[in-house]
Amino acid sequence: MADEDILSDDLLRQLMSVGETDILVGIHTHNNAKTIGRVVQAVREGLLKHFPRERVAILNVDGGSQDGTTDLVRAAAISDVGDATPFYALRTLHCISSQYDSVPSAGKAMHIVVAASDLLRVKACAIVAPESFEIQPDWMNRLLRPIYGEHYDFVAPVYSRQRFDGMLVTNLMYPMTRAVYGKPIREPRPGEFAFSDRLVSDLVGHELWNQDAGRLGPEVCFTVSALADDARIFQTFLGPKGHVDQGPADLVPALRQTVAPLFWSMEATFDWWNTIGVLQALPSDGPEYEVSMDPVHVDLTRLHQMFTSGVTDLQDVLRSIVSASTLAQLQSAATNEGNNFQYTDELWVKVVYEFAASYHRSVINRDHIIQALAPLYRGRAYAFLTENLKASKDELAMHIESLCQTFERQKPYLLELWTAQERGS
Amino acid sequence: MYDSNGDGIGDFRGLAQKLDYLRELGITAIWVMPFFPSPLRDDGYDISDYTSVHPNYGSLDDLKVFLDAARSRGIRVIIELVLNHTSDQHPWFQESRSSVDSPRRDWYVWSDTDTRYHGARIIFLDTEMSNWAWDPVSKAYYWHRFFSHQPDLNYDNPAVREEMWNVMKFWLELGVDGFRLDAVPYLVEREGTSCENLPETHAVIKELRRRLDEDFPGRMLLAEANQWPADLRAYFGDGDEFHMAFHFPLMPRMFMGLKLEDRKPITEILQQTPAIPDPCQWCLFLRNHDELTLEMVTDMERDYMYDEYAHDKGMRLNLGIRRRLAPLLDNDRRRIELMNGMLFSLPGTPVMYYGDEIGMGDNIFLGDRNGVRTPMQWDGGWNAGFSAADPESLYAALILNPVYGYQAVNVASQKRLQHSLLSWTRRLLQVRKSTPIFSRGSIEFLYPANHRVLAYVRKLGRETVLVVNNLSASAQAVELDLSEFKGNILVEMFGRNIFPRIGELPYLLTLGPYQFYWFRLRRI
Repeated sequence: MADEDILSDDLLRQLMSVGETDILVGIHTHNNAKTIGRVVQAVREGLLKHFPRERVAILNVDGGSQDGTTDLVRAAAISDVGDATPFYALRTLHCISSQYDSVPSAGKAMHIVVAASDLLRVKACAIVAPESFEIQPDWMNRLLRPIYGEHYDFVAPVYSRQRFDGMLVTNLMYPMTRAVYGKPIREPRPGEFAFSDRLVSDLVGHELWNQDAGRLGPEVCFTVSALADDARIFQTFLGPKGHVDQGPADLVPALRQTVAPLFWSMEATFDWWNTIGVLQALPSDGPEYEVSMDPVHVDLTRLHQMFTSGVTDLQDVLRSIVSASTLAQLQSAATNEGNNFQYTDELWVKVVYEFAASYHRSVINRDHIIQALAPLYRGRAYAFLTENLKASKDELAMHIESLCQTFERQKPYLLELWTAQERGS
Repeated sequence: MYDSNGDGIGDFRGLAQKLDYLRELGITAIWVMPFFPSPLRDDGYDISDYTSVHPNYGSLDDLKVFLDAARSRGIRVIIELVLNHTSDQHPWFQESRSSVDSPRRDWYVWSDTDTRYHGARIIFLDTEMSNWAWDPVSKAYYWHRFFSHQPDLNYDNPAVREEMWNVMKFWLELGVDGFRLDAVPYLVEREGTSCENLPETHAVIKELRRRLDEDFPGRMLLAEANQWPADLRAYFGDGDEFHMAFHFPLMPRMFMGLKLEDRKPITEILQQTPAIPDPCQWCLFLRNHDELTLEMVTDMERDYMYDEYAHDKGMRLNLGIRRRLAPLLDNDRRRIELMNGMLFSLPGTPVMYYGDEIGMGDNIFLGDRNGVRTPMQWDGGWNAGFSAADPESLYAALILNPVYGYQAVNVASQKRLQHSLLSWTRRLLQVRKSTPIFSRGSIEFLYPANHRVLAYVRKLGRETVLVVNNLSASAQAVELDLSEFKGNILVEMFGRNIFPRIGELPYLLTLGPYQFYWFRLRRI
């Protein structure tokens, strides 16, 4: 898709005024008035403190907010127009905002940011989530300095999380990308990340923007692109991410935004990852894993119920996705709960790999495959929670590491499944 | 400027011979550096006799010849006068230090300790440790805000004030049109203050101004006060102190705005600049005989300026940068033109430094500020046409390098070329002088969304001029809100070409790198 279709005339006019820019911070919003003020202030403060001489701009791409979100972003601009701001700045700091003409879409917003970065010849671009209310000004330095000052291509975050926050990441996204691509990216679907002009050049005309995967989970596609492009990757520790509650009802959309883009990206990058063997460490500036041990309140019974009913209700669908032995193990697991519940790492990895291969082969509608993963993930979550409810921080880390190793150990099985179709099996 | 007697030093008779060049250039006044007898330890700002001419530059008669020649060409002459201090070689100081009972003892500021007025900053940080110096003759400390060989006069003493008025009267009677009064904020000291801009200092100036207006109407006072605009404003008083004052804080911000490609530093400082009484005027400048002073900028701005304009430590002096205009701008003709375009279109009287009209270079290997005080480059011949002396005996060394040397950069060659910097500068002055709007008109900034474009409207009576400057090294498009002037056409003032009529929509202009436009708005 050409840039002129992505950028509205209004945004183009604003970009003309911004002109060539060293650093761009993109924020995708949709009715984020509660948190965006805090986020934009922290971004501005960080940019002024850490990049006082650079040409910087904040680009807000909005999905049609009705709550004044865009006004809050624009108000953060520092210029010679209107009232003086309390902040001292050598130069103008543009905060521009543009609403795109479609339903809210992370992919559309990201594509706009990438296209704008390309047009403005941005050297380093950071993406910040609008709900990151724990953002600190220092995040700008941590995200952007490795790219602007040290010529990395991609900076991924490491957050300090509540111990069971982000289980989809710790139980699937992280161990799977690590196994497949050989690099331990802790947050394959980052809320905050940064990338270089080189990645922008590679991605601005990329096919991903035309795909559901790119539209729904561009962050994952971005991460995988960096991995498969052999980009110089850096991990930066940002501290607490802030917990946004996601009930079970949010799981399927979450899978569409994470797992589906990962599976899609694996297809596009198979030639690269099928040869990856040894795990490569990534440079970083802080701990790679940090959790807080706050008490958690999870409805384990409900999780288990959703797993068992899912395995039963989706039996026919699952039969077309996973192998008979895997289905049998799942059905067996569904008959037990509590200490008798058996949903081992090996079984979970097998499930995920078989889903990935089935997605690749499109054995049924791909979105149905993703939806069918939901109850199985809930079962895995139930198992993980019951096993680790009393685990210490170190034990938790050890269990996650063990899961990663299982993913890595079973990678040949994934390759076997993946290539079976190509071999005509 | 020019050495008429071949002794290697420029002089008044030589200057008189070059007045036709200056008139052709289009200037209206000359500001002459200190020419008084002096030990010359601070380029003449250490005066040892206020009512005579240093023999290096000629005699009083030579000065009269020069003044008459200037007047006959319609050029006014402003001379430098250092009120704040004298040389330590001045007879007044010699007398003052000789005894505590000397009648001139109280003409200077003496103390038994060096702890008084500790709220006053040290200006020449590179060379001075204190504002007090021990005098072994007098066995006491004397106050000096500048070099220790420049003791400050005591303006609390009525005899000093009277004597300095007598000095001014002497020169006014001789025919000078005004004074550029050096270092005026420091005339009076008071305990517990910064000893700058004190009400007592303003009282001294008001008294001098009153006497000037009474006895010599039509003559003027120009302030050298390196201060923030709000502090500078006080030097205009109610139109009863200085007629003019240099706008020091604007100058570095013009350079900053250019390097940042952002109008913000320029518009901000002009927004902070208070209105001044009607008969008064700002003096704007890009460069002068001193370093590009960075006193009136923040620490962050100073660091930026040093990094961008004086990466070589040898380019730095005190809190400033000792370089000429052309080298500061990498000898980029487009940037030199843009900076001059702004200088000549912003509100105020533009002041050019000799040689900048041809793009002369500097020599940072000469000490102090001597690197920007080298001989005027008249032609490519012997001593750049400045002097018939042996080159070794020149007061200041010539610029010899291949880029800025006198064989490459000189008046004679640029006079022959229609598109030389000299010819362009002459044209700039012509256009500037084609309307009084630039000197007396109001200013309104337009604030287009494109921050690389500095645009403003000057108005005087029924006349309106639009100025648009592209501070960027790349071409820019800009939309200007000219709805107030709907129906007007734009006439570009240099080529007199017509641009489209202003309509309903924002007025779209495109500008090449560092390009600027001056448009006269006309309703036809």
